[in-house]
Amino acid sequence: MQQAGASVSEVEVTWEDQQNINKFGRLNNRLHELEDEIKIAKETNESLEDASNELILTDEDIVRFQIGEVFAHVPKDEVENRIEQTKEVTEKNLEKLTEEKESIVSQMAELKKILYSKFKDSINLEED
Amino acid sequence: MATSASTSANVPERRGIPAASFVEDVQVFLSQIGLDVNSALAFLQERLQQYRVVEMKLLAQQRDLQAKIPDIEKCLDVVATLQAKKGTGEALISDFEVSEGIYSRARIEDTDSVCLWLGANVMLEYSREEATALLQKNLENAKASLEVLVADLQFLRDQVTITQVTIARVYNWDVHQRRLQQAATTSSES
Repeated sequence: MQQAGASVSEVEVTWEDQQNINKFGRLNNRLHELEDEIKIAKETNESLEDASNELILTDEDIVRFQIGEVFAHVPKDEVENRIEQTKEVTEKNLEKLTEEKESIVSQMAELKKILYSKFKDSINLEED
Repeated sequence: MATSASTSANVPERRGIPAASFVEDVQVFLSQIGLDVNSALAFLQERLQQYRVVEMKLLAQQRDLQAKIPDIEKCLDVVATLQAKKGTGEALISDFEVSEGIYSRARIEDTDSVCLWLGANVMLEYSREEATALLQKNLENAKASLEVLVADLQFLRDQVTITQVTIARVYNWDVHQRRLQQAATTSSES
């Protein structure tokens, strides 16, 4: 995990610096969580794609659709609608997550600039 | 983000987690706590350990909650499906898992009540509306608890970072002092 290690020799650490370091740590944690969430959302999206493809290929009228822990017998049309709805929701979620990730990446780049300019070699903000 | 950073400065502790006090000046800090450098470092290291223990606990709680929320949402889904079927008057046929890899078919007639598993070997029968309300409430509580937990974890991680930085600064200050002393003794000897 990325450590914001600060070995300050001559330069004093102010409360503002500490807050910046804290914020960087928090953003970094959130970034890792987001990357995991994005991976899961992408996998869910793919599964839904596969499901709707399978649906087109099948010639049965009643499809077993998973609701909760059970597979309910649902007519094919309704299953199509449900999958469409779920796909929309997951796609929107994925968009939101990707946006948040980009915002965090840019905030972290800003903080890196600020902290490196003050502490130069005394601080390490890279992924180890 | 900026507002939560300033609140962690003013809060002396949060839900049992003591805040790490920010050190303005290492020398003043050492004289305040009245310890020499090694004892101060040991004290800070111990604090760090305590924080880590609490962090493990909170992370475990967070994982539990994150698993519980999709479960509740699934239950709500099932109840909603039953609700939708009510109008049509036809039974819902579903396949459910009896054991690993073995499924059985069930025919669910149009009914107004559902049974909810409450845990501790207790299952209660509710009307559909009550069940939906109960599940909804549980879901909201779970989400609210998760939010509080995430905030706790953020606060905790901030304290860990502050403590780590303080340890580094105390150590460096000590190294600096030794260098000054050595410089002073060599110049007085020469």
